[in-house]
Amino acid sequence: MLSFAFKSMATRRAKLVMTALSMVLAAGVALLAYNISTQVSEGIVNTAAKYDIIIGPSGSATQLAMNTMFFTDKPLGTIPYAVIDDLNRSGQVNAAIPFSMGDSYNAAPIVGTDPALLSDKALLKGEMFSQPLEAVVGFDVAKTYNLNPGDQIISSHGLSHDGAAHADHPLNVVGVLKRTDTAYDNAVFTPVSTIWELHDHHDEDHDEDHDEEHDEDHDEDHDEHEEHHHAEAGEICAVLVRSKSLADYAALMNWYTDNTDYLAINPNTVLREVMDNVDLSRKIVYILCAVILVMNLFVVSVIALLNMYDSRREIALMRLIGVSMGKINRLYLIQNALTGLCAVALSLLCAHLCLWGIRGFVSRMGIVLNAARVYPLEWAILLCVFALSILPTAVLTRRMARKDSLET
Amino acid sequence: MIKTEDLFVRFSDGSGIRYRDMRFDTGRSYALLGASGVGKSTFLNLIAGVLTPAEGRVTVDGEAVSALPQRARDLYRIRRVGYIFQDFKLLEDMTVQDNINILRLEGVDTSQMDALLDRLGLLRLKKRRVNRLSGGEKQRVAIARALIKKPAIILADEPTGNLNYETGVEVVRTLLANAGDGTLIAVTHDDRLAPMFDERADMNAVAEWVPGGEARQHA
Ligand SMILES: Nc1ncnc2c1ncn2[C@@H]1O[C@H](COP(=O)(O)OP(=O)(O)O)[C@@H](O)[C@H]1O
Ligand SMILES: [Mg+2]
Repeated sequence: MLSFAFKSMATRRAKLVMTALSMVLAAGVALLAYNISTQVSEGIVNTAAKYDIIIGPSGSATQLAMNTMFFTDKPLGTIPYAVIDDLNRSGQVNAAIPFSMGDSYNAAPIVGTDPALLSDKALLKGEMFSQPLEAVVGFDVAKTYNLNPGDQIISSHGLSHDGAAHADHPLNVVGVLKRTDTAYDNAVFTPVSTIWELHDHHDEDHDEDHDEEHDEDHDEDHDEHEEHHHAEAGEICAVLVRSKSLADYAALMNWYTDNTDYLAINPNTVLREVMDNVDLSRKIVYILCAVILVMNLFVVSVIALLNMYDSRREIALMRLIGVSMGKINRLYLIQNALTGLCAVALSLLCAHLCLWGIRGFVSRMGIVLNAARVYPLEWAILLCVFALSILPTAVLTRRMARKDSLET
Repeated sequence: MIKTEDLFVRFSDGSGIRYRDMRFDTGRSYALLGASGVGKSTFLNLIAGVLTPAEGRVTVDGEAVSALPQRARDLYRIRRVGYIFQDFKLLEDMTVQDNINILRLEGVDTSQMDALLDRLGLLRLKKRRVNRLSGGEKQRVAIARALIKKPAIILADEPTGNLNYETGVEVVRTLLANAGDGTLIAVTHDDRLAPMFDERADMNAVAEWVPGGEARQHA
């Protein structure tokens, strides 16, 4: 039985491969659409902010929240580091953590901060940074560039990696974070003083370079300078605050709003507002995803039906030859189950390979996709595909069995 | 013994063929003669049970096989009938031996395949794909497949149609030898081969064409 099934499949291999591939394509797209839309919305929901106040220069609250929570967008500007000293002296905070961003290592932003930012993140290897020019890298950064404690990385100026390199001041990797499935996986962390040091030197370079011929480099550097706000010594981009109590929270919010021109926001509130704003577009994405899903399942059904009609002649022939419909039914069940299984396995593989492929691309936008994550609905889709690959022909043989063998 | 009684078959367009009652005894061979389109193939289809008559019945050894449910009728054909179709009904993409080995799915013993293929002059083509064979070769593959299960009833629809006279004689001899004490019913156009059979029947006198009903006349 099995060997005959293989022989029969071999004679139809081209058609079978086409059928399976179109199924893979349709099912793969459906899986991909569903997986991405789910992971993206989950990703935003899961990032519960641990800080109740973020203080930064005046500007867009959304930008400040997105920048400090997801490392996306540009910082609003800079504020003096002294703000942190003030906060600590106030006795109203449990933590006041500096946040600075402006340089990058390839696509990963370099965050100048203090070890407290990573207090709830575990290290995979090495240790936490303590000195200027020491760095702890996120899981994906370490994996992508094969970084280990002891390695050195050259940061580049600005948030796009075509900025001028700080080649003369490499950062020493001292630790690697465990995977968090958040934007932290795609960032490099270093003491805020590193940033100051880099930019001190950078500015020195500038001055020295003035008389030399590297005019083009100069211009680029200047542009970068104008576009990004680089922390001068003693400057940071924002402070992440965890206040001691609700009363302290209210007092601090009021004080910073009333008495300074800094922006003080509650990241939870801001992110919720952002979510509310994107809710409509999120619904559109969901509808789009549902449409893609239904469309592709429809395509799979059409392919399955075509496959069935294609088998019709051969089934009728085998019956006339003298094979019972029961045996024919089993023969096709084996063949279609094998093709279906291949299609299912391949679509799962392809969809998640794609996911893995675009992971690096979207992680720049602060969206971290886990390629290994398979949702229950994905299994349901695959089950549908498998059922669609075996059921039509099974139904057909049953119906044919009730008619004259010549009549088909 | 095979008997047909009051047989009438109707096609989907409303036309049909009525047959006079016929009897085929076990252990004998019959040649069915008659003009093209008179209803010879249709008659064999009715006996093989691949077509259900609108009226009348086909009985084999007293059992009305034409009235059996499809499953049982398939089984009757699988167990007892070797049908050589006019258009061969071969799996074109498969080899000669696979076309015969497919019957192993139904428990047919194919160990005599080589001897049978040899007798039909097909042994060297055993591993060749059917769609690369000539019409005469395909015809003999269809014959080999029908005979391999040593059926009690052999139905052969123009089994020599694509063969030259000498090969035709050899094929008819093979059919007769394999029929043994079963029943052989063969449709043939060749007046020189007809005398090799025990009996001959002129289907022109047996089958009567019945044109379509009212709907047809109105049109
Ligand atoms: N399924 C069908 N629908 C309509 N007419 C049919 C069908 N099968 C056979 N016929 C007609 O019945 C007649 C007898 O056909 P057949 O038995 O094949 O003749 P032959 O004696 O040449 O074998 C022919 O006129 C043919 O056109
Ligand atoms: Mg005919």
